[in-house]
Amino acid sequence: MRGTLAVYQKELAIYFRSPIAYYVVSVFLLGTGYFFLYNVFLTGETTMAGTLQNMGILLLTLAPVISMRLFSAEYGAGTAELLLTLPLTPWQIVLGKYLGAVTILLLISVGTVVDLVPLYLFGTPETTTILAGYIGFVLLGMACLAVGELFSVLTHNQIVAALITAAVLLGFWLVGHLQDFQRSDILRSLVGYLSFARHFTDFIQGLVRTEAVAFYLVVSAVALTLSASYLQWRR
Amino acid sequence: MNFPSAAIVLESVSKRYGSHTIIRDVSFTVDRGEIVGFLGPNGAGKTTTMRLIAGLTAATTGRVTVAGYDMATENVEAARRIGYMPERPPLYDTLDVSAYLRFVAKVKGVRRAALSGEMERVTAACHLEAVVRQEICKLSKGYRQRLGLAQALLGTPEVLLLDEPTAGLDPAQIQETREVIRDFGRNHAVLLSTHILAEATLICQRVAIIHHGQLLAIDSPSGLQRAMAQTNRVSLQVTAPADELRAELLSVKGVTAVRMLSSDRDGRRTVECQVDSDHGIEATIARAVAARWDLHRLERQAPTLENIFLQYVADRSDASEPA
Repeated sequence: MRGTLAVYQKELAIYFRSPIAYYVVSVFLLGTGYFFLYNVFLTGETTMAGTLQNMGILLLTLAPVISMRLFSAEYGAGTAELLLTLPLTPWQIVLGKYLGAVTILLLISVGTVVDLVPLYLFGTPETTTILAGYIGFVLLGMACLAVGELFSVLTHNQIVAALITAAVLLGFWLVGHLQDFQRSDILRSLVGYLSFARHFTDFIQGLVRTEAVAFYLVVSAVALTLSASYLQWRR
Repeated sequence: MNFPSAAIVLESVSKRYGSHTIIRDVSFTVDRGEIVGFLGPNGAGKTTTMRLIAGLTAATTGRVTVAGYDMATENVEAARRIGYMPERPPLYDTLDVSAYLRFVAKVKGVRRAALSGEMERVTAACHLEAVVRQEICKLSKGYRQRLGLAQALLGTPEVLLLDEPTAGLDPAQIQETREVIRDFGRNHAVLLSTHILAEATLICQRVAIIHHGQLLAIDSPSGLQRAMAQTNRVSLQVTAPADELRAELLSVKGVTAVRMLSSDRDGRRTVECQVDSDHGIEATIARAVAARWDLHRLERQAPTLENIFLQYVADRSDASEPA
């Protein structure tokens, strides 16, 4: 636990001493602000549904930027040699770094809460629906960051890590569209189950389904386990 | 095998990547209170051996034990007892020196109450007091090297592994760093790799020579010096005709071979003699040459790392030839 905490604190310090965190937070909040204005003031609907949907898509492009440096930067700077020779298990390293990235995710989520102020001032939005949407957003983000960490652990080049992560996340987002082309029921339900977008839509509509929560958590757990196993195997 | 006092034990260790063998059947020990120098040219397998002991990579065959812990199965326990400084100091450029040292100390299990004392100890030992608040990216190469050493010293590990610890330092810093290593080595096991024979001779009790992934010798510096004496060469600069000079030099007892290296426009020749005698041969050569020609310079070449390698490699080749 102490090792995980030390890695986590180090990750946060590095995020905030480099421009990455500031870039991600500002781009995300500006983007979200724009979508919020567009969705609420143009349509006149006092819901966060449209904004949350756009936040999900924005996350697909920014999660790779948060996760790309997790391991690739350590390989490049030679600090991976330090991490892997300190008394840390691969899980402690992977988890400490992951929690650091998730903290950035939570920060950008909290930052968007400012959009709720005019919503509550001038309308009567459904709090539980918004809450469900945010739960879905954080779970989606956790899965995206875990996948990003896996590709960062696999490559020494940060840009390559970000590009592969973005491509894979886009695949997970769009895979639901393949449902229309499947004749087999099993394939149709499998493709639907793998869709990041389909589960996220459920959350935005106010449905916190066990199946969707489990899906995002399982994706995160599998990606993190593969990252830790790769570090172990590397020895 | 049983090595009760040995802090580092390598037993028939080999490391292969695919069909390429990097380390071949290496066995040696480093005791507590001993500094062992690891000598070898680039690509000899020094760094791979260090990485094996540090737990960064696992041996393909054989066994590595550090402080009694098997690196294959108990590497986290062993890592608590190892301070490792890789060839390139592993530094986070965006952190400042104190944040970096605090991170390493926490991971090494230094208690909160002892944290500031421990950081002061290593910053003082490595002369980092002036830069403790500075960002690492702004440090000079010498400071970066010393910070790499400081992180290895944190937590007072039983075993210190230093890969080229004095590379990039100025002479005064080299002196200070050697002093730190010597102090630490009084009660702990230190294995340091170096290209510099003088460094190994100055601070190491024993020196291991590795070449093409094989351990050729492990001996005290004086033992190696004796081996070096057999490969000594004398170089001289003379204004003389080549053939006559060669014949004259070969007539000197103890000169086994003569090599003409170069000659300039004034007729000065640089010549190298292979000698098999230790005592006073320079004077004999000087008398023989100076009696007939102008002798401009004569010196016994300093023993080099290459001399030792050549000697050991030659010995190995001789030993493997059928009788």
